[in-house]
Amino acid sequence: MKFKSRKKEQLFWGYLFLAFPLLLLSIFVFFPIGFAFVVSFYDWNLLIPDKPFVGLGNYFELFKDPVFIKAIKNTIIYTIGVVPVQTLLSLFLAFIMNQKIRGRAFFRTAFYIPAITSSVVTSIIFVWIYSKPGLLNYGLNALGVDSNIDWLTNPVTVLPSIMILNVWTTSGYFMVSFLAGLQNIPASLYEAAKIDGANQWQQFWKITVPMVRPVTYFVVIMSLIGCFQVFDQIFIMSSGGPDNASTTMSYFVYQNSFKYFRFGFGAASAAVLALLIFATTLIQKKYFPPDVY
Amino acid sequence: MKQLKVQKIVFFGILGLATLIYIGPFLFSLSISFNADKDVFEWPIKLFPERFTLDNYKNVWKELPFGKWLFNSVLVTLIQTVSNVFFSALAGFAFARLEFKGRKLIFGLLLSSLMIPGIILLVPKFIILNEFQLINSYGGLIIPGLVGVTNIFLMKQFFETIPKDLEQAALIDGCSYFRIFWQIFLPISKPALAAVAIYTFQGSWNEFLWPVIVTYTEDMYTLPLGMASLRTELLTDWPLLMAGTILISLPTLMIFIVFQRYFVQGVASSGLKG
Amino acid sequence: MKHVFLIPFCTLLLLSCTKQADYVRFTSWQSSPTEERIIRQTLTDFEKEHPDVAYQFQPIPGNYPEKIQLMLGTGKAPDLFWLKGDTAPAYMDFEVLEPLDPFVSIDQNFDEADFFPVFRDAFRHKGKNYGYAKDFNAYVLFYNKKLFAEAGLIGPPKNWEELYDFSKRLTKDTDGDGKNDQFGFVIEPSIDIALPFALQNGGELVAEDGTVRVGEPEFIEALNFFMSLYRDGVSTIPADQGAAWMGDVFSREQCAMTISGSWLIPYLRDNSPDLEYGVSELPQGKKRGTLAFTVAMVIPKQSNHKKEAWTMLSYLAGKEGMKTWTNSGIALPTRKSVALSNGFYEDSVLNTFMQSVEYAKLYKINMKERWYDESQAAMQGIFYKNKDIEKTLKELGKTLEKYTLD
Repeated sequence: MKFKSRKKEQLFWGYLFLAFPLLLLSIFVFFPIGFAFVVSFYDWNLLIPDKPFVGLGNYFELFKDPVFIKAIKNTIIYTIGVVPVQTLLSLFLAFIMNQKIRGRAFFRTAFYIPAITSSVVTSIIFVWIYSKPGLLNYGLNALGVDSNIDWLTNPVTVLPSIMILNVWTTSGYFMVSFLAGLQNIPASLYEAAKIDGANQWQQFWKITVPMVRPVTYFVVIMSLIGCFQVFDQIFIMSSGGPDNASTTMSYFVYQNSFKYFRFGFGAASAAVLALLIFATTLIQKKYFPPDVY
Repeated sequence: MKQLKVQKIVFFGILGLATLIYIGPFLFSLSISFNADKDVFEWPIKLFPERFTLDNYKNVWKELPFGKWLFNSVLVTLIQTVSNVFFSALAGFAFARLEFKGRKLIFGLLLSSLMIPGIILLVPKFIILNEFQLINSYGGLIIPGLVGVTNIFLMKQFFETIPKDLEQAALIDGCSYFRIFWQIFLPISKPALAAVAIYTFQGSWNEFLWPVIVTYTEDMYTLPLGMASLRTELLTDWPLLMAGTILISLPTLMIFIVFQRYFVQGVASSGLKG
Repeated sequence: MKHVFLIPFCTLLLLSCTKQADYVRFTSWQSSPTEERIIRQTLTDFEKEHPDVAYQFQPIPGNYPEKIQLMLGTGKAPDLFWLKGDTAPAYMDFEVLEPLDPFVSIDQNFDEADFFPVFRDAFRHKGKNYGYAKDFNAYVLFYNKKLFAEAGLIGPPKNWEELYDFSKRLTKDTDGDGKNDQFGFVIEPSIDIALPFALQNGGELVAEDGTVRVGEPEFIEALNFFMSLYRDGVSTIPADQGAAWMGDVFSREQCAMTISGSWLIPYLRDNSPDLEYGVSELPQGKKRGTLAFTVAMVIPKQSNHKKEAWTMLSYLAGKEGMKTWTNSGIALPTRKSVALSNGFYEDSVLNTFMQSVEYAKLYKINMKERWYDESQAAMQGIFYKNKDIEKTLKELGKTLEKYTLD
């Protein structure tokens, strides 16, 4: 193929290379974003051909819906509970894994296994663990704690139980992120601290934590986005119950869209969730930017 | 000296406990999967089954459409992985090595799409696929996941680290950009391609939400969805369920163990620059 | 080299091209291997009778109502499928089903008058019939004869007082660890288990005319009794035993009585063949009351094979099909002739169901889908959060009013 100039040639190839990805992303990402808002202004039921425009009706109904309010509350509790614990725990694990210990690869693999395992698998295993005659109660009783509750049907324990599962599964993933960050910290910093007589604990807080701030920023964002959208575990373990004690926003979206078939109402609830996530990340960016030491 | 020893014991104590917490649940499910007794709630709970059997693993294939689900999972995962590797490399190359009008704008658009929570796309994606008559078909399962922005991003980052003069000689020889991409850049990008492949594989293999929405007959289920559908029906047959979950976990586990270093690399590069 | 670009497109094209089926697609849910075997048996009989009708049978496991709804919404509904009575009103209201009266009027083999009236009209909506009940079931009481004998009890409880008293006497600590491990009864935080008690007390969830009645004193009083069984510890719930459902608890002899439909019979045969049980009508409150469940066979409006689908429906819900289908005792006939000719009134177990249906209320709720989750949430609140019964039911009543159909 002949081109008049290198510039034209690059233009041609550039767009050819991007054609398929752009086409796909337009259909399945860019267009749907706008379309989602459009749908949210209609009373859209796939079974009924008539789809009346209702304006902000779905949004008004949402904020009058006690289940939705509960879902927002549960989602926020879930996120506030999981994100800090997960971040600290994975940093801590990474810190340990960064020490010169024998069998490091083994331990790293062990911590990472839950992260690469399907959420369905971990959820099923934890349904067994959390059930009344399951492993958790057995262990507690063996330790002398008289525990006889069904963790997933008890309205007080159901959400924390799923939160703990989430921390357990994803902390290994973020550990690897932190590990990469830790390896970029010059060893000389630690040497200097050692000479000044700082112990490991002090080194962790004074050197490690500030030095991995960019990674922390990324981890917190990813963790936030993940927690706000938690679905798989809720779907498999509790179906939002009991009495909506574990209904999260994404589960609410699923239920209303694909169970009650109210696409407009479901899209409106998804839009609220998206805005909530967007606002949270903006706040984080503004008040906890990644690059301030 | 003595204090150091105590410190060491405490350290390894914590490490041991943590390891137990992280892999213990898997060991128990492995144990249950070999249990010949259907009642897994008998206290005391034992790590080693009293009556050992392989029947649960046989029954997974006999009593469930496990083979069909496996086929679906493999098909979806393979196509999505190959497509993601190829197209993210192609797009990453365009963003990193070519100068053309609109490049920055498009890239900015892609970046901002990373901030969009997937949940808002569910309903519109469903309606669109329904328009194409793709609900409950392989097309519906596969097409939306053929290209991922994170992967394009990863490849762009990688290609930018390669010195500028690499393609110069080839260009002077009159090679097309596709040949440069295919013959010069791809061969030296194996680590990055591997990272993309592994990530896509893991993501597709474990994907749950999308199959839940887009499929409704058993013969279209992927493995995770199939196993989750059993959770409601066969709650009493825990050994069978656990045998199934162990089987689903094996591929990702093996790939992780074999390609560990690419995993770490991938997380690291997407993590640091994300 | 450029053909690489084409690979994904070709794959997609290949994957997405679907053939228009030229046979009747028939769908049911999948509850047990036994049930599936009998369906296939009935279908084989059908083939002999009508070799000209090509069909394919595709059962759906799990989340059946949601899946059917998705199929209807995406224009891929099967030509003939089962529809649960409780979810049917919404579908009839949305007008997605084909009215069957025109087919009935020209089909000489299909004897409509043979159905018990309650089932004949179960799927009638605004003057049109949208489905025919293939079978029915009803809640009755199952009791464990051995455990009854151990406690010195002879027959099943006849009324609420006896139910409570018997449950108390059947609850005990068998292994001496200080905790009860055998219970008199098992219930579930589920609206359809509570509803029979409300009916026995003159209450109702929603009246025929659409008035929500769940917050009325009759319902509240009944639920107070229902809950006292659990709160006083004479009844257990499946979750407390790590069990999936009430029948599971009964089968493991962790309780001496349970409420169930006839689906428990094959389950017990498979899982605890040695368990000796008796079946009786539910104990009565102020009056007799129970729930009857029915499943219709329906044809969607969007079907391209309505005529052939009707031929199948006419056979499966006809005298011969129903005979084969109900022969195993896993479901009960909705046709008088089948009930009479096949000895349903002679067998003491089956007769219990036939008697129950005389006063049973059809489980058919004229509300949008969400009524069920709202009701379940309320029940869970009462069970797991110890919420006040009266307040919760009154609130539920107000909530449900939003979901009534016209």
